[in-house]
Amino acid sequence: MLAELGFIATFLAFLAALYAAGVAFHSVRVRDDRLLLSARNAALATFPLLGVSLGTLLIALLTQQYQIAYVWNVTDPNTPTFFRVTALWGAQAGSLLFWSGIMSAFAFGTIVLNWHGQRRLMPYVIVYTMLTLAFFLSLSLFFENPFERYWIMPDNNVVKSVFAVGGAVPPASARLAETANGLNPLLRHFGMIVHPPLLYMGFVGFIIPFAFAMAALASGDLSTNWIRATRRWTLLAWVSLSLGLVLGGRWAYDVLGWGGWWGWDPVENAAFLPWLVGTAFLHSAMIQEKRGMLKVWNMFLMLGTFSAVIFGTFATRSGLVDSVHSFARSDIGFPLFAFWFGITAVSIGMLLWRWRRGDLRDERRLNSWLSRESLFVLNNIVFVMLFIAIFWGSFGAPIFSELFMGTTITLGKDYFLQVTPPLFLVLFILMGVAPLSAWSVTSLRRLGKALIVPASLAALIVALLALLQPAEPPVLLIYGIIALSGTVALWETVRGAMARHKSLGESWYRAFTALIARNRQRYGGYLVHLSVAILGIGALGSELYQQETQRTLAVGESLELGGYVMRYDGFLGGQIAEDGRIMDIAQVTVLRDGREVARLRPRRDFYPNAEGMNSMTIPAAHSTLENDFYVLLVDWETISARSATFKVFINPLINLIWWGTLLLVIGTIVAMYPDERIALVTAKTAQPSQLAGAKA
Amino acid sequence: MKSLLRIALGLVVIVTALSAVQLSVHAQDNPRRPVTDDEVNAVSKKLYCPVCENITLDTCGTLACAQWREEVRILLSEGKTPEQVIENFVARFGDRVVGTPVDPTLRALSLVTPWLLSTLVLLSAAAIFIRWRKESAAAPKASAAQPSVQVTTHTLEEYRARIEADLAARR
Amino acid sequence: MTEWHVAEDILTDQSPAKRSVNFVTVLAAVILAGMALIFGLGLRHQQQTQPTEGMAPLFTLKTLDGQEIALESLRGKVVVLNFWASWCAPCRDEAAELEAAWQQYKDKGVVFLGVAYTDTERNAQAYLKEFGITYPNGLDYKTKISALYRIEGVPETFIIDRNGHISEFAMAPLKRTQLSAMIERALAKGTQP
Repeated sequence: MLAELGFIATFLAFLAALYAAGVAFHSVRVRDDRLLLSARNAALATFPLLGVSLGTLLIALLTQQYQIAYVWNVTDPNTPTFFRVTALWGAQAGSLLFWSGIMSAFAFGTIVLNWHGQRRLMPYVIVYTMLTLAFFLSLSLFFENPFERYWIMPDNNVVKSVFAVGGAVPPASARLAETANGLNPLLRHFGMIVHPPLLYMGFVGFIIPFAFAMAALASGDLSTNWIRATRRWTLLAWVSLSLGLVLGGRWAYDVLGWGGWWGWDPVENAAFLPWLVGTAFLHSAMIQEKRGMLKVWNMFLMLGTFSAVIFGTFATRSGLVDSVHSFARSDIGFPLFAFWFGITAVSIGMLLWRWRRGDLRDERRLNSWLSRESLFVLNNIVFVMLFIAIFWGSFGAPIFSELFMGTTITLGKDYFLQVTPPLFLVLFILMGVAPLSAWSVTSLRRLGKALIVPASLAALIVALLALLQPAEPPVLLIYGIIALSGTVALWETVRGAMARHKSLGESWYRAFTALIARNRQRYGGYLVHLSVAILGIGALGSELYQQETQRTLAVGESLELGGYVMRYDGFLGGQIAEDGRIMDIAQVTVLRDGREVARLRPRRDFYPNAEGMNSMTIPAAHSTLENDFYVLLVDWETISARSATFKVFINPLINLIWWGTLLLVIGTIVAMYPDERIALVTAKTAQPSQLAGAKA
Repeated sequence: MKSLLRIALGLVVIVTALSAVQLSVHAQDNPRRPVTDDEVNAVSKKLYCPVCENITLDTCGTLACAQWREEVRILLSEGKTPEQVIENFVARFGDRVVGTPVDPTLRALSLVTPWLLSTLVLLSAAAIFIRWRKESAAAPKASAAQPSVQVTTHTLEEYRARIEADLAARR
Repeated sequence: MTEWHVAEDILTDQSPAKRSVNFVTVLAAVILAGMALIFGLGLRHQQQTQPTEGMAPLFTLKTLDGQEIALESLRGKVVVLNFWASWCAPCRDEAAELEAAWQQYKDKGVVFLGVAYTDTERNAQAYLKEFGITYPNGLDYKTKISALYRIEGVPETFIIDRNGHISEFAMAPLKRTQLSAMIERALAKGTQP
């Protein structure tokens, strides 16, 4: 019953998406508004329909319908309710449907919110979103169907099918429950509730600006309209992706037990690549909004971002690269590859067509080496260079070498830490300088003047960092550059408020809020800059000054590392948790300056029912702003556990990464926050011009 | 599982020790020295095993990795330097065991290509920019349209004026 | 990669720009086609599975006792090619069975070859000694042979008939009876060349 319902709802959503795309396209050609409305309704309908299919899958998971192959694959009777919910995106088939669900939600949102403001672009927006949705739904329907059920044929063969096959009977439910697989142990973590949905929101969310960009190309409304209309959508996608990336790192830090948070794995990089292009776009879009420049480039960056999104999806879901994070090999590789190629070829083709016709002419030209525009362009170039370096290292070189040189190679951290740091450093320098420069032209003298206060603040931060952790002069210089990029953003905000306080006589609080309210986009952006500086210092410090040691301790013995003393107190073996895993727990006490600061329980979890990787080393950590004392239980004497082997890390400044990310989210919310007054004004002024545009 | 590994490893060590006595005499020239876990991890950090994709040897939990770590330990105890151990692994298992290939051609392909491509990007961007400057020098009226922005800011009042000017330019 | 190549020239948006647009169009097409080719081939390469028919890929195995055995030199004999590793538990289950089958067939025109995947000489030798294995075994130097046969794990066994064609492939540890049946089938195939 559930399987049929879910399948039919998915199939109807697929038909509705196809119908909406076709009719919306036709409605523009015949200029029929009724047809367009019908297309709109069909597009809107995909969201509730997919809501139903995801809902049925969720109910099937919660009520343990093990006849459904997907449910049998990702849960077992011991799975806690909590992980039954997260199992919705625990494997390929479910996560694809989930992905489509998010996509339809975004489409629904933009149709409802942007319908009146963007009538001319809307038909094409429907075409592009719905075609993409239809593609992903076709994967769910024809390749990775989460509603397939097991049936036993009269000849005792087991087949998978959604609907009952003639003569087939369902397998005995007790037998199914007994043999069910259970969720992949790697995914049984709090981070897995939020990391995949956020990452998918980030990936999928870029469909909205992409569809608007394509709509602009198709309709010929090549003003800055598409950028303005999608600014908040882009920010929403961007912040979800940023948060998804960092939470993925946090999950690795908490679960994978290698003491770090970013491993430069191809799958991590696949999610980082669209972030790089998308961030470049967020910056250069500002130049088009304010100066009417770089139209072709912006269009290109947006198309590139979505192409990178689809490429990342293809790379991680097809088995193109091997990785701990990737899904199992699957048949959807070639369809995804073809879709990536198609969408890239079509969008680049349309861009070149418009460009050739001269429809994307800029209103102004860059004319100074040292203006805000040129610094933004430089920032874009550096982002593109980073993209190249990371793309090449993750997908270019390994595949090229395997195909044409017959050698399998690994490009690991080693490669990325040789290639990317100079580029990141240039980005931080630009982050420090660009907010101080003016549009059009600026002078070095003025720059120098504006740098005095932020530079002294940065020097203070560097001194503080040097006190915490003795560092070499070049490292201190780099700390300084990163800190400067943050203090500049901070000081620009304070200076703006000071100006209001002095000249308008506003109270400090009022001056700050009014300043930010006047230009949320800018001050939200500055907050994001500050957060990225914090994150950058955290990433650098934890990478450069990580200390580790591994020792075997007898009960009562201790080891020393970086000013901490850790004592092995005892062992709790064979603890059984509610989900059936067996935990072996070591108890240790962490002391600093002779005083006890924490009792930690690093452990090893063993999953008796899981296939493949069935044990996990779960670290325990004592966190302070200064550093994390991070312990892994590596091994122990099996019978007595009188001695155990520990691997201990000191990760300096790593908490700045998590705190910085929190600030990043706040900053983006400030930048996104709807400003009713401005929204009204633009809506009013936009209306007539659009009518005029529609006539023309 | 773990104890099985221990037993297996113990067996391996014993058997190897016995066969070493039989097969080669010069093994006894280098008296084995104790190797700490930290030394093993320092080398393992730079090695990738083919059975666990993109995880370094020091953090990989499979039996194969445990054996490889043991091999690292043995090689170190025989007096090999960390570099020699890595060379030895590359020679036996290929370039995939290190984070950047050792083979000169592959190394160059990996490390030089991104910089080559980046330089191309940078050069073309610079060329375009120079062309734009020439163009705007030929038609200077476009840039003169924005005088208010170029005011130097000495006082806070002027700074506020600049913020407002930026804001106005946005609308 | 496409992105930036196009990018650099997209910036050139110029009035007499038709020519440069044409240039960019060609460049974009070339780069996109190149990427499609590489990733298409890459995907196909990744999705290739173990060969189950046709000519067995040729290799030369250097055995642990210093012999060099080329697959080509074994034409006219049935070859049982077994991939294993000393760290692999299921391999231990089949080791004795393999040796027993070898004893049974070694004088009947059948050759057994063991290839140790990502193994060290020390551990491999110890493993062979432990199970008293007497047929030739060698280390897979730089995992080249494993790559040729696209193995996904160990143990995996290929049966190659007298003409050098792959006769059968098994992905699980084998019992002696299964192995005998497979060898018999391969022997039967090669009788009428």
